[in-house]
Amino acid sequence: MFRPVVFNEEVCNGCNTCVDICPMDILAPNPEKGKPPIVMYPEECWYGGGCWARCPLRDEGAIQIITPLPMRVSILRGDR
Amino acid sequence: MNSDSEVIPIETDVLVIGGGLAGCMAGIKASEYGVKVTIAEKANTLTSGCAGTGIDHTWAYIPPIHEKMGWCIEDLMEDHIQGIAHGFINKELLYLVASENYERVLDLEKFGVNFRFDDSKVPGKFRIVPQFHSVPSSFNFDGRPIKVKLTKEAERRGVNIINRVMITDLLSTDGHVSGALGVGTRDGKFYSFKSKAVVLCTGRVNRLSRIVSGVWGNHRLPVYETGDGRTMALRAGVPIINTEFFSPALFMIGNYEISFGVPRAEVQPAGSITGPNGEIIVPRTYFYDWENLGKEKWTSEVRRKWMAQRRADRPPYPEMYKQGKGPFYLDLTGGTEEEIKYAEWSVSNEGDGFRFLDYLKNQEKFDFRKDKIELLPNSREMAGTAASGLAVNKDLETELKGLFAAGDEVGGLPWQASSGAFTMGWHAGEMAAKQTREQKGFLPVGEEKLASLRELCADMLSSKEGLHWGEVELAVQNIVDYYAGDVRAEEMLKRGIERLDDIKGNISFRAENTHELVRCLEVRSVIDNAVMVMRTSLERKESREVPFKFYRADFPEQDDENWLSFLALKLEEGAFKFSKIPIK
Repeated sequence: MFRPVVFNEEVCNGCNTCVDICPMDILAPNPEKGKPPIVMYPEECWYGGGCWARCPLRDEGAIQIITPLPMRVSILRGDR
Repeated sequence: MNSDSEVIPIETDVLVIGGGLAGCMAGIKASEYGVKVTIAEKANTLTSGCAGTGIDHTWAYIPPIHEKMGWCIEDLMEDHIQGIAHGFINKELLYLVASENYERVLDLEKFGVNFRFDDSKVPGKFRIVPQFHSVPSSFNFDGRPIKVKLTKEAERRGVNIINRVMITDLLSTDGHVSGALGVGTRDGKFYSFKSKAVVLCTGRVNRLSRIVSGVWGNHRLPVYETGDGRTMALRAGVPIINTEFFSPALFMIGNYEISFGVPRAEVQPAGSITGPNGEIIVPRTYFYDWENLGKEKWTSEVRRKWMAQRRADRPPYPEMYKQGKGPFYLDLTGGTEEEIKYAEWSVSNEGDGFRFLDYLKNQEKFDFRKDKIELLPNSREMAGTAASGLAVNKDLETELKGLFAAGDEVGGLPWQASSGAFTMGWHAGEMAAKQTREQKGFLPVGEEKLASLRELCADMLSSKEGLHWGEVELAVQNIVDYYAGDVRAEEMLKRGIERLDDIKGNISFRAENTHELVRCLEVRSVIDNAVMVMRTSLERKESREVPFKFYRADFPEQDDENWLSFLALKLEEGAFKFSKIPIK
C-alpha cells in the first residue's frame, strides 16, 4: 500500500549502506551491481529514517522516504 | 534455512545480548578486563536500539555546576524519587545512575561525542534544558551519530560484534548462566554461544498495541524491540517486575508519532501548547536564568509543591480531549529567531527527528515562525515511566548467577533514560567481566534447547496451515487493547488471559523464509509479553494513577499499605509465581 523508501536510479550507486543498517531488514541488494536496493518488505518499514540519514548520497537525492498520508501531521497554517 | 541448518558454535567470556546504548557501553567496558567480549545484535549496532538514529538528551549530576549551586546528589535523587517516580523506584539503582552518569559523559566525549557548545552560557559549556527535574540536570548533545561512534569504539577495543542474530534462549547450568541460542536473521543458521556471563540489553517491548495511525511500524519507539530479553529471561526462571504498567496513549505529535524527546510535548525553548482559539494551555518554556539560578536552594518541600502545581495547572490531554477542549497545538510562534534555530537543531538531533524535520520543511513547507502542529494521540507503549524489566540487585545481576541486565531491560527505575543505559551498561559490563575471571572453563551446555529451537523453526518453515505473523500480532494487539486498556478488572483480565492462552496454545505460525521466521519469533515474544502484562494486571489489586495510570475498576483506590511494592512474575516448573518486592 505504501512506498516508504524510494531510490533515484540516476543518483544511487548501489553501495547498499542502507541495506546493511536497516533495523527491520526490509531492503535487499539489487542482483544487478551498482543499481539501487530492492524494497522487499515495504509494509514493515518503521519510518525511523536511518537508511536516509546514513545514505552517502542523501544530499544528492539518492534516497527518499515518502510519508504515507495517514502519517502526515496536522498543520494549522498561520496564514489562513 | 531448513531443519538441519548449520550450527555456528561461539565461545566468549562475556556475551552481550542487544547492541543499543546499554549493550555497546557494556561491551566497551567489559573489554578492559582482558576477557573475550561478544555483542550479539538482532539488527546492526550502527542503527539499532532506541537511539539508533540519534538521541539528544541525558541527565546527570554535574559536579562543576551543581556543587557551585549547593546541590548534592541526594537533592537530584530526591527530585527523581518525588517528582518522577512518586516513591515507586529502586533507590540503590537510582544512586548508581545519578552518581556515575557525569563520568560516562566524559567517557563518551573521549569516544568522539560532542557535549559542549560555544554559545552556552553555562559552566562547562553544556546546553542545559529544563526537562526531567527541577534541578537543572538535563542537557542536549550532538547524539545523532552516537551509535556509529560507540560501534567504532567497541571494534577498536576488539569487541566481537555479530550483527543479524536474534537471540531466543538463555542457557543455564546448575543455577548459573552458561550461554545462549539464536537464529541468524539473514543466513538462517543457528548460533550456539557458550559464555561465562551474559549481559541482557534488548530494550523495551514496542508492539503490544495497535498503531493509532493504522500505518504498521509508525510507533514513537522502534518496533524492532519486541521484548525478546524479558521472554528469554522469563523462560529461564528469572523474575520480571512492573509489567502491569503498560501505559495509555500520550498526546504528542500524532500521526507521525514523534516525541521530540520532551515530556508533555513541550519544545524548548519557546514551545507553548495552545487551544482551538489560540488560548494558552501550557505556557511557553524558557532557558534557565543562569544569573539567578541557585541563589535560592530548593528544599524537598518546595520541590514537591512545584511538582504538584505543575500537575494541577492542567489535566492530562486525554482528559481535556474527553471534555471537548481540543484541538491542541504545539505553538512556537512566540519564539525568537535564535530560539527557533535551537528548537530545530534539537528536533533534528534525536531519533526519527532528523527525517521528521526534513519532511516538515520540504514536504509540508512548514515554518515554526507562523504554523502550528496539532497534538494527537500516540500509540500506547511500555513507557519509560513503567520501568518494567528484570529484577536485579545493586550490581545489576539477576537471580540467575552470571546473568546481568542494563538499560531498559532493567526494572524498577522510571525514566532512567539514556542516563540509565550509559551507567548501567558500563557497570554491568564491568561486573560481568570481573566475574568471568573467577571462572576457569565454560559450563557444560545441554542439547535439549537447541533441539527444541530447531523443531520450532522447522515447524514454522514447513507449516501449510500456519498463520502469517502479522495476522497473529494483530489479534494479540486487539486483546491487549481491549482487556488491558485504560480500564482493567478481574473478570475482563481473566477472559483476556484465556483468549491469549488460546492463541498461544492453538495457533501455529507459517514462515516462507528466514526473514518471516524472525518476524514469527518476534511475535512469539510479543505474545509472551502480552501474557505478562495481563497476568500482573490481574494480580495487582489496587489502582496507581501517578505515574503509571494503572486503573483497576474493581480496586479504584491506591493501596500503599499492601502494594507499595514491585510485583515480580516468574515461571517455576511451567507455572506463574508472583511475589512482592518491597520498595526500600
